[in-house]
Amino acid sequence: MSTTKAKPEKNGTVKPSNVSSVLTRAFTSNSQWPDKDEFLDVIYWGRQVLGLVLGLVWGFIPLKGFVGLFLFGVINAAVIYFYASSFQGIDEEEFGGMWELTKEGFVTSFAGFLVMWIILYSGLHYD
Amino acid sequence: MWADTLFIVVISICTALFGEGLTWLLVYRTEKYQKLKAEVERQCKRLEKKKEVHGDTTDRQQKRKIEREEERLKNSNRDLSLVKMKSMFAIGFAFTALLSMFNSIFDGRVVAKLPFIPISWLQGLSHRNLLGDDYTDCSFIFLYILCTMSIRQNIQKLLGFAPSRAANKHSTNLFGPQPQQLSGYK
Repeated sequence: MSTTKAKPEKNGTVKPSNVSSVLTRAFTSNSQWPDKDEFLDVIYWGRQVLGLVLGLVWGFIPLKGFVGLFLFGVINAAVIYFYASSFQGIDEEEFGGMWELTKEGFVTSFAGFLVMWIILYSGLHYD
Repeated sequence: MWADTLFIVVISICTALFGEGLTWLLVYRTEKYQKLKAEVERQCKRLEKKKEVHGDTTDRQQKRKIEREEERLKNSNRDLSLVKMKSMFAIGFAFTALLSMFNSIFDGRVVAKLPFIPISWLQGLSHRNLLGDDYTDCSFIFLYILCTMSIRQNIQKLLGFAPSRAANKHSTNLFGPQPQQLSGYK
């Protein structure tokens, strides 16, 4: 639990003054995350960006079929796992286990990935 | 195909913003909703704290206290979803009308090519109102649903209307977690 004074839970919205601090910590290894929600937000938004980037790459290549979907799932889960456990070195139990981190924003990221993949694939290779 | 796909993305951004705007107008800004939402937040935190301290306790009295808190939280969550009903109906009607309009515009049109063949129970959606047996053809509704899934949630988060994680964990009503406007309330 957070040891700082009680703050309203925001789930996604970080105060503008906090954004730079959160971003700095997100890119610095072994940062301190007194507010668990901030770290989960970093995971959430990181995952959205990752989904869009993978969709872009898959669309350009173009990757097709089940392989594309499977690779997305594996890379998405692996990147978040290594980011959380190796780069940030967080104690996953504090966040309710690795499963909680693995599923944070996964569906939204998957939908974003599919949209990007489908749009680029049809636009570049079927127009 | 660029034109169709990008048009659908724009449509889903607009409908997501429209939906959130309407919900804000009918629900988020009302005093009743804000009070209830603050109440749920407070109860969630209290319950979490209690569970953390007395989680593994065998003390009957503590257990009963936790159960009572859970019951209270469930009631507040139910009240919250009742407040949201009004806007859900309004949005339901508006979206049904909008969707049927867009459906007729894109009727029978292949809006995109899928880079994969969807599993059989999704083909009804992805191939809706399309001719032929090429299941990589994508219908309007499939792309629209995907866009909405990704865009709506992100817009809710950006605007601060997404339900808090603590409230999400405890909300067990029929309609799933309730989006809440969370900034500025303790």
